[in-house]
Amino acid sequence: MNDQISRLENEAREDLARADSAEKIESFRVAYLGKKGKLTELFKLLGTVPPEEKKAVGAELNRLKQWLEEAVEKGKGNAPRTDASREIFDETLPGIRPPQGSIHILQQTIQEISAIFHRMGFETVEGPEIETEFHNFTALNIPLDHPSRDAFDTFYTPQGQLLRSQTSTVQIRVMKDRKPPLRIIAPGRVYRPDTVDASHSFMFHQIEGLMVDSGATFSDLKGVLHLFLRELFGSQTKIRFRPHFFPFTEPSVEVDIQWGKGWLEILGAGSVDPNVFDEVGYDKAVTRGFAFGLGVERIAMLRHGINDIRHFYENDLRFLRQFA
Amino acid sequence: MKISTNWLKDFVTLAPPFARIAERLTLAGLEVKKCETLTQPSDTLFEIEITSNRPDWLSHWGVAREIAAVENLSLKNPVLDPETGRVPPPGWKIHIKDAAGCPYYTGVLIEGITEFKTPDFIVNRLLACAIRSINLVVDITNYVLLEVGQPLHAFDADLIQGKEIQVRKPKQGEKFTVINGAQIELRPDDLVIADSDRAVALAGVMGGKDSEINERTRNVFLESAFFNPGRVRKTSRAHQLSSESSYRFERRVDPEAVDVGRSRAVALIQKYGKPRHISAVIKAGEKPQLEVKSIHLRFEEVTQVLGVEVKPSQIALILTRLGLHVKQHTSGGSAGETAEHSRSPSTLNKERGSWTVGIPSFRPDLTRPIDLVEEIARIYGFENIPETLPARPPLSVGENPRLSLERKIRYFLSGAGLSEAVTFSLVSDEGLDPEKDLQHAVRIVNPLQHGLHWMRPTFVTSLLNVIRKNVNAGADSVQIFEIANIYGAPAGGKHPVEERTCAIALYGKKAVQSWLDAARAVTFYDLKGYVEAVLTSAGCQERCVAKIEKSYFAGQGAEEIRVWQTPVAFLGEVSGELLKKWDLKEPVFYAEISLEKLMEHAQKIPAFKEWPRYPAIERDLSLVVKESVKSGDLMREIQGMGEGLIREVSLFDLFRGKRVPEGCKNLAFRVVYQSPERTLVSEDVQKVHEKIAQSLVQKYQVSFQGR
Repeated sequence: MNDQISRLENEAREDLARADSAEKIESFRVAYLGKKGKLTELFKLLGTVPPEEKKAVGAELNRLKQWLEEAVEKGKGNAPRTDASREIFDETLPGIRPPQGSIHILQQTIQEISAIFHRMGFETVEGPEIETEFHNFTALNIPLDHPSRDAFDTFYTPQGQLLRSQTSTVQIRVMKDRKPPLRIIAPGRVYRPDTVDASHSFMFHQIEGLMVDSGATFSDLKGVLHLFLRELFGSQTKIRFRPHFFPFTEPSVEVDIQWGKGWLEILGAGSVDPNVFDEVGYDKAVTRGFAFGLGVERIAMLRHGINDIRHFYENDLRFLRQFA
Repeated sequence: MKISTNWLKDFVTLAPPFARIAERLTLAGLEVKKCETLTQPSDTLFEIEITSNRPDWLSHWGVAREIAAVENLSLKNPVLDPETGRVPPPGWKIHIKDAAGCPYYTGVLIEGITEFKTPDFIVNRLLACAIRSINLVVDITNYVLLEVGQPLHAFDADLIQGKEIQVRKPKQGEKFTVINGAQIELRPDDLVIADSDRAVALAGVMGGKDSEINERTRNVFLESAFFNPGRVRKTSRAHQLSSESSYRFERRVDPEAVDVGRSRAVALIQKYGKPRHISAVIKAGEKPQLEVKSIHLRFEEVTQVLGVEVKPSQIALILTRLGLHVKQHTSGGSAGETAEHSRSPSTLNKERGSWTVGIPSFRPDLTRPIDLVEEIARIYGFENIPETLPARPPLSVGENPRLSLERKIRYFLSGAGLSEAVTFSLVSDEGLDPEKDLQHAVRIVNPLQHGLHWMRPTFVTSLLNVIRKNVNAGADSVQIFEIANIYGAPAGGKHPVEERTCAIALYGKKAVQSWLDAARAVTFYDLKGYVEAVLTSAGCQERCVAKIEKSYFAGQGAEEIRVWQTPVAFLGEVSGELLKKWDLKEPVFYAEISLEKLMEHAQKIPAFKEWPRYPAIERDLSLVVKESVKSGDLMREIQGMGEGLIREVSLFDLFRGKRVPEGCKNLAFRVVYQSPERTLVSEDVQKVHEKIAQSLVQKYQVSFQGR
């Protein structure tokens, strides 16, 4: 019996070596493991084995069976694909999707805006969110007790530090740190104690931009911002520049884009106020520059038709995945 | 503020359509938010929004003045009382005891009013501006406020004790009953109008109940004054009382309008109230003067700032139209002489000269040449300034390497199936330990809501909130990350620190069930895999791990990953207590990676490494060892014994139970032998492999089993 088993094994090895296609593997399987297969036949002989050898022979047969099964399984995987092996192909079976994550739409918006400014030679810089009165107000020409501060309500720490209410703080830090010429943008979180509703949040994101150069003019400001808005909203975008007031720029401007029949305010900007240059130690007589600030949420809401600012911070996967 | 175009017509000729005027104003910086047409009586209203630097626009006269400037029209003045030939009210006195708070105070005593009906045009105009008619005298004060911008106050003269008006600070503990009936405790820094007895008004903010005008009032003391803007603002904010008056006083009223407003009101009261007697004006103090009365402006300043050449004649015209007093200078010639055509361009600019510009009392915002440049640009029209692009200097624009790393991590984690969240930096103390988590956290003294008192020292509660929100909405798996700052207050009161951090939280299933694969729950090791991959993508090598504890992690199963001994990340399983608090049924695995620390060891530009060209030989080591022996130690031991021939050791199986004795585990390692210098033969490997096996038996009492 043992001889028969080892003969069969050798025979199988030779056959297997020649089984080089899926069809041949299948006939190999039928030849050995099928209902009338060679191994199946050997199993039928097990009854003729003396009882004292039965256990050992049975184990040996099982070992061979397992080896044959593994060999067939392996052979199937290795066999080159032929048209016949596609018989069971069902073209309507759904694909197995890789897991799908998403980058937050606010981050995508920041990256997109930053990329446009990078092309114009602006560098992304950052500054702290917990700030001093100096960087958030004084250096930005915002008097401590003045109605112009109304728009800039702030969160305070017990030590009198505050959460920055605008990313303009970063331009102060960079100007104190470096010499002109400068072209920077500073994206980041800002905080104002506004009651949360569909269009307000106590935390939101801004991108501040600053260019400082001896020859920078208001017409440069117009050119840079118009180009930016065209790149972001399309070359057909109509915009208008409307005089406004910000303590840290003069002349100051609000930029509107045409939206349907009306105009929508999209960003604030202006030539840097000489007082700001004074505060950071630049010579205000010869230094010129312009700054701009825009709300990331507002732009994302407009571009994607998002109707409630709270969606951004609730992080419902049904929201996040729409922008995957 | 609402502006009635009917009313504007008293001062300026309006050429319709009104929508055109509204747009002109908007493009000159006086924003008309809405233009609405009324019938009965027919009128067009402008809803205007003013910037804090232009309180002079807070009246019809002021808006008319702006229209006259932008449209180049002439401006009419309101009809005033001549205020002549009258005698001062006998016995009445004004004492300013706080000149800083009130530099200028005036009043008139009007006695024996006989008519009480407010004429229809006043009622209608007030109504158009959303002010209800109350009685003739109050209506007239409101009318004058909306017309010329000067807030007035009318006292019932019979209720003023001692015929005396004092402008003073409150007395210690003095109380005051506001017109709306509320009693307030006055602050030492407030400013009150008082008679000989008590406070009768909170200066510039609100009148008092006790001296209010009523329908029986026949005799009126009419106040018109200038109050210090900062003081009015502080008082108004401190008591949370604001009014049309305080809104204007805190933005600064035109000192000249103090007299104009009073005369205007007297003229109207005389005409419609038919009083028996009007006194001469009594005054105290002086009108405050502008700090800067004139500004010197050079032509080239305009060009340099705006990037466009506005003709000198146009500059002078614009400034004149704005009501400024312009005097031209030309250097090297007499005033008025221009020599634009015969000089070279460099001298031309100088020759185009400069101006001395006198500033009227209603424009205290104009103090520097740049302020005039803005005025010129505004009226010249922003739309007429060309658009240019500045030349780009040949400077490289570097990128902050941490921001590049953040972007890389975002792409990696989102590509691996995680969604990026953005949550608030402010958190409540829920789920955080007052000692371990909040002792060095940054506190916010004026949180807005929900006890969001803390600048978060960890993202764990923020991300638990996101998981709960999504689970409640029906999600069975939530795999998220966030990149933002955590905050800490260093000891010694130093400025708080902010650390850019990437947090990851996993909940639910790693893979969803499909027709091909089975579902599987996420495990701690999935999280560890993400963290390791992030560290690898940053180019961090030489890592080791150590067990740690955190208040929000389950007692066992939290660890820290160090790079060159610096802890850069930690991860663990969120404690059952927190899961219960957040009502979550499945475990949550949470990690934080400090991007600042990671940056210290990140490899910015990866260097190419040659891989071995000689074939590798794989050998497995399947061993049984006590549970207390750590797999990492065994791997290090194997690698260390490899005589430099081991390229890689990996764990490919971990098994407990069945034939493995109690308290032991079966670990299977695959060891890849490869030499950078030669082709290894089986015997080389066998020798090393056996030595390793022996060493493991001696050192860790492992036993080998199997085939």
